[in-house]
Amino acid sequence: MWDLFKAELQRFRFWCLAYASLHLLILGFLTRVVDLAQQPLLVYRSIAAVYALSGLLFGLYQLGNYRRSNTWLQLLHRPLPHWRIAVALAAASVLLLLIAVALPVLVIAIWQKTMTARVVDLRHWLLPVSAILIATSAYLAAGYAVLGGRRFAISGLILLGLLLASDAAGFGALLIQLLALLWLAALLMLAFKPDLSASPRSPLALIAVALPLQMAIYCALVMVCFGVELLWIMQGSHPNNSTPPAGGFVEANKAAPADLLSAGLAVSARSEAALWQEQIALSEVFQVFREFERLPQRHSLSNLSPMEFDDNERGERWVFSHDRMRFRGYRLSDGKGVGEMGATTANAEFTTPALPIGSLPGFAKDDALLMTANGLYQYQARSRTTLPRFQLPSAERFAATPSLVGESIAILSDRALYIVDGRSVSENEDLIAPRLSIPLPGAIGNLTRIDLIELVDGYLISFTYTSTAHNARVDPYQEIVQVHDDGATEPVARRVLAMDYPTWHRYELWWLSPAMHSLYQGATQLFVADSPLLRIDKPAVPLSMRWLAATLAVLSMSLVLLLSRGLVLTRSRRLAWAAAAALIGLPALISFWLLHGGKERG
Amino acid sequence: MSPQEYVIETRSLGKHFGRKRALDALDLAIPRGGVHAIVGANGAGKSTLFRILLGFMPPTTGEARILGRNSQQLRPEDRGRIGFVNEEHTLPVWMRVAELTAMQSRHYSNWNQAGFDQVIGHYRLLPDQRVGELSRGERAGLNLALALAQSPELLVLDEPTLGLDVVAKRAFLESLLYREAASECTVIYCSHQMEEIERVADNLIILEQGQLRHMSAPDDFRARVSHWVADIPFAGPPTASVPGLLQWQRIDGLQHYLVLDQDEGFAEFLRASGARSIQSMPVSLDRAVNGVLSRDHAAPPPAV
Repeated sequence: MWDLFKAELQRFRFWCLAYASLHLLILGFLTRVVDLAQQPLLVYRSIAAVYALSGLLFGLYQLGNYRRSNTWLQLLHRPLPHWRIAVALAAASVLLLLIAVALPVLVIAIWQKTMTARVVDLRHWLLPVSAILIATSAYLAAGYAVLGGRRFAISGLILLGLLLASDAAGFGALLIQLLALLWLAALLMLAFKPDLSASPRSPLALIAVALPLQMAIYCALVMVCFGVELLWIMQGSHPNNSTPPAGGFVEANKAAPADLLSAGLAVSARSEAALWQEQIALSEVFQVFREFERLPQRHSLSNLSPMEFDDNERGERWVFSHDRMRFRGYRLSDGKGVGEMGATTANAEFTTPALPIGSLPGFAKDDALLMTANGLYQYQARSRTTLPRFQLPSAERFAATPSLVGESIAILSDRALYIVDGRSVSENEDLIAPRLSIPLPGAIGNLTRIDLIELVDGYLISFTYTSTAHNARVDPYQEIVQVHDDGATEPVARRVLAMDYPTWHRYELWWLSPAMHSLYQGATQLFVADSPLLRIDKPAVPLSMRWLAATLAVLSMSLVLLLSRGLVLTRSRRLAWAAAAALIGLPALISFWLLHGGKERG
Repeated sequence: MSPQEYVIETRSLGKHFGRKRALDALDLAIPRGGVHAIVGANGAGKSTLFRILLGFMPPTTGEARILGRNSQQLRPEDRGRIGFVNEEHTLPVWMRVAELTAMQSRHYSNWNQAGFDQVIGHYRLLPDQRVGELSRGERAGLNLALALAQSPELLVLDEPTLGLDVVAKRAFLESLLYREAASECTVIYCSHQMEEIERVADNLIILEQGQLRHMSAPDDFRARVSHWVADIPFAGPPTASVPGLLQWQRIDGLQHYLVLDQDEGFAEFLRASGARSIQSMPVSLDRAVNGVLSRDHAAPPPAV
């Protein structure tokens, strides 16, 4: 085993060193130009995609060569258990990827930590770990695709897709990557045997192979539905690319602010409705949009956006450190550190990571607005301190950055819309109390837009709940309320919006396979901290869709029983497949056909 | 002969690729010891048989045993007892000869270094040469040396001289024939080269369309095939009526018959068919095997 390990290292050593050198060169160049530790999510995803592609190509080349009939025989026909041969090759490959992919990242992190005043946190030291996990997973997925059954082994790539689809951050993301890696390693081990055509024998092995296959089939079926939607778009009658149906949620999403308020008022029974209609035509309509689904999490591997801001007057850059939960500064001119800056003049730790989100009217020139999960801070350049300026109730979270509403500022949380007086921002340095607090009438995850006008006494505010209505995660509606200056809120109108899409289309993610739909949701939310910003009011699945799913399940089960006749299958396995088809539906049926359909009949 | 005395034993072994039957209810029992040559036309099922025997392919029907064990349940130690050399000589091209030899020697507990040196002595290889730098003949020699040095009980050679030039072929055969270790193991030699088989084989196994056609000593087989030349006016007897006919040709007005299992009675048949003169002669192994294999060979239908 050790010999095979060394032989494989020897085989690729020059390519590995060449890759590592080029990789280091590119990272070295980039790190001189930008701070690689403070890039937005897209940059990290792009780099991760390159690592994944590298692992994938390496696996395809290495194991693709070994898969050739005589080479495979030469490799495995020796007095060693084939799992040990697999471990030797895989271990050598991991070491090669470690040198080529992870080591340069680590070298750059060490350079940045020791030679610069830039922030290097624990989460940055974890980036090489993440890099090797991703590259290795891709290598294993390629190996499984090459060595596993031709009809189904490509499905291992779905576990790479999980890395992209998962909402986990920080250690949670690493756990997901590790889980995907272990699963793919198990798949490769199952495939790594003399007879490459042999099906998995034990029930556990069959589940390990079938589950990702069924998820891949489910995703493929969803893509087919998406293809149907593309044809619909090409045909020209799709609600999104034609004149939207009147009274529907697409029309509401696209409507001009005044038109939307006006349409909502049209169903109001309030006597002032006609007057407000005239007022809408004369007023400026302000808008507030939900921006965040998640807020920065401590030790997350990537950033929603760079967690830094510049004090141009002082020529300093302040970067948030997840380890210290404070900002650390360095001079832009010579890169020398200028110290730390915490929350308030007491230099305390921020309670959650603080995201620089621009400025506010009334701030001095180089002042900056910093947002934690539920607090706003003003970086005051004059005193080089941070001042708490706004605080949400402890259970609430910001859903958007503050926006101007005339001379006031609107602050949206997951529970309420707060209106604060804009003058109070500049007139003092104290914590600002909201002038108005308007509870949201629906779940924040469904909120698409808020449109409001100023009234003589308060505001007229329209809340539009249409987000994710196209895939049935809300029954769309518009709700208008009047808010008085004393804070009293009165309902004005509630307009139920049409669905625009047929029911089968809105529920296609569900009826294709309720079990796979739940598994997908569960997998993408595994190791994810609950985010109140994702709360939705999900309607119950209509009875017609339940019947559709049940019909597909029964059909799938029947076809599995029919197809399995004449196949060399034990009775218990045949029944297990039928039960899986009844539970999972189409993906189980297709996976059964892919796993067993090509076999010789007994 | 007890089952333990067979190195290879198949019972009703079948392998189907869709509608094509690569092996068709093959019953084969190869005794321990000696060199057994397996011949057959392309597609006769030789390589399929080896893949099934080594556990790299499952049979569709029947069972195959190698060194007494079901071929689908071979253990690592069983593999240590079976050497295999394929026609491509797929060795790791990035390794040096000495490194590859050292690796193999550590994998096989019965490694015979003296035997390796004896075989490799037929080739002018340098220890620090990379396998990828070797000629095809040198690679074949190295492959054979590695396989023999494993001290296998059974050595399977699947068309090992394919693509080798005359010199390399001779070197390969000499290193196989004059090697002591080769005499200690059973050798299965698959080849299309009849002159090689005549030199090395004690037993000739002919496969045709996935079935066992013949198994005996090569000389015995050759003795079963005879070549008759008869001067028969006109067209001669209908070929369908010629007993044991393998091939028929008319050359310079003479009828040439290649027949199987015919004695002097065949001369009587020819005379009865109007032969004025008859001549019988032995055939080479190549001609005999060729005659048998080409008898039912697929051919386009005659032009109308």
